[in-house]
Amino acid sequence: MINSLAMEWQKLRPLHKTARTVLLAIALAITVSALVSLAMASNGPHMSLVDRRAFDSVATSLQGVNAAVLAIAAFGVLCVTGEYATGMIKVTFLAQPSRLRVLAAKLTTHAAIAAVAAAGACLAAFAVGQALLATAGLSVGWDNARLPTALGGGVVYLMLICIWGVALGATLRSSSSAIIWLASLLVVAPVVVQILPRHLVEVVGRWLPSQIGQQAIASHPSAHSFSAWSGLAVLGAYVGLTLLAGAWRMTHTDP
Amino acid sequence: MIEVRGLTKCYGDRTVVDDLSFRVEPGAVTGFLGPNGSGKTTTARMILGLTDPDTGVAMVGSRRYRELAHPLREIGALIDPGGVNPGRTAIEHLRWLAAANRLSRRRGAEVLGLVGLDAVAGRKVGGFSLGMRQRLGIAAALIGDPPTLVFDEPINGLDPEGIRWIRGFMQDLAAEGRTVFVSSHLMSEMALTATELIVIGQGRLIAAESVAAFTERAESSVRVRSPQLDVLAAALAEQGASLWRDGDVLEVVGVSIEHVGEVALRLGVLLYELSPQRASLEEAFMRLTADVCDHVAGQAA
Repeated sequence: MINSLAMEWQKLRPLHKTARTVLLAIALAITVSALVSLAMASNGPHMSLVDRRAFDSVATSLQGVNAAVLAIAAFGVLCVTGEYATGMIKVTFLAQPSRLRVLAAKLTTHAAIAAVAAAGACLAAFAVGQALLATAGLSVGWDNARLPTALGGGVVYLMLICIWGVALGATLRSSSSAIIWLASLLVVAPVVVQILPRHLVEVVGRWLPSQIGQQAIASHPSAHSFSAWSGLAVLGAYVGLTLLAGAWRMTHTDP
Repeated sequence: MIEVRGLTKCYGDRTVVDDLSFRVEPGAVTGFLGPNGSGKTTTARMILGLTDPDTGVAMVGSRRYRELAHPLREIGALIDPGGVNPGRTAIEHLRWLAAANRLSRRRGAEVLGLVGLDAVAGRKVGGFSLGMRQRLGIAAALIGDPPTLVFDEPINGLDPEGIRWIRGFMQDLAAEGRTVFVSSHLMSEMALTATELIVIGQGRLIAAESVAAFTERAESSVRVRSPQLDVLAAALAEQGASLWRDGDVLEVVGVSIEHVGEVALRLGVLLYELSPQRASLEEAFMRLTADVCDHVAGQAA
């Protein structure tokens, strides 16, 4: 297993397209957090006292997490599908014949990188967002009681999305179809669900990965959503099932 | 050493490899010959653990590929001149391979030197010519200094200079005592490179012998021209000769020219021509593989 990890780590050493997607994810997270915080800050003077009390400062400055999901998902997808596209996967299996070890090594290295990148992105986004929110007196400090949970939730959410990318890549073996699936689930599905009648939105909405992500960084649980950690457990179940499918395909069909 | 026993692989109702058994011994270049679509690549993939056989086993040394702890140290393979991320440099590609089997980091530069690519070690593979990619593939095969090597169609896309280089290179590897197994659909190429041959057609073993023995077999054909070929062909077929008929010309393999003359005299068959043929290896190969394709039965009857 150590050899497989060394192999996957060595593949990531040169800064390739895949590694660039991580930097893109971090940049997106910080930029979108800054934009959302800026918008809220400019809105600050018009907010009522009730609004201010209900305002979720932590979640607002972490909104960039939602913008980073697709890039983080693509990072996971490409580490598998890129190898199928170039035929490199055959060389990988020549060097490490155990398919499951290859998959496990890819998951470990990419989840670890996603976690580090997500932690960096969340901290930076929070710092930038809070600085902007402070101009309207809407900031909370680094000692905010909700902050560790929200940061942890954001990091775990992005890490799970990255693992989902690897799993879907192993299942579908094609960059385009895996990314289209993830984009549909993460971006299109929430829009489509909004068209449904209100009572259905409340029932269906909580199962959406995007809503789970939103709750992971939120300070106040919403009435029609899972709590942060049960939501992440649901997402973990999606990821686990996809992973089983990916592992089955990798071990049962030829490269 | 490579040993294949009773290897069979079907895709749907098509049998691609059919009960194939052979051994590839060290110290020689062994050509793996067959027309396109005869199951060479599928066999190579089964030896390398990339495809599972339906029945039978393929052994590398004394183990199956998937049981090897450090496969690159046991067997090197060139299967696909692609197989490299075009955005990676040659040396980067070899570094992750070395890491995968706990080989020294210096091995990458060493094998690039062996194949003459040291000057482009830091260049991206995307800009490589097909010939350079083949050389990189060979460098990758050599990275673990393995005693056994498998090259699938290594001369595809190479220029004459590259072909000469790879020929000599494979012979040198065999002279070092390694097992070198090279697949090709070109008999003429194998006649120049290999000393042993394994010939397959439609997934079945046709011949496993030295190139010299194969050549001898190829030279013993007799050409007969006669207005009464039906009678003669029937008599010769009864005696186990292989026959190819084209109009009033019959090609006979498996009996001597003297014997054909005696049979013709005994039957009172008029002959216009009775001549020994020195068929080229290419023709011998075509015949042997055509035999399996069942084209002959209809023509000789």
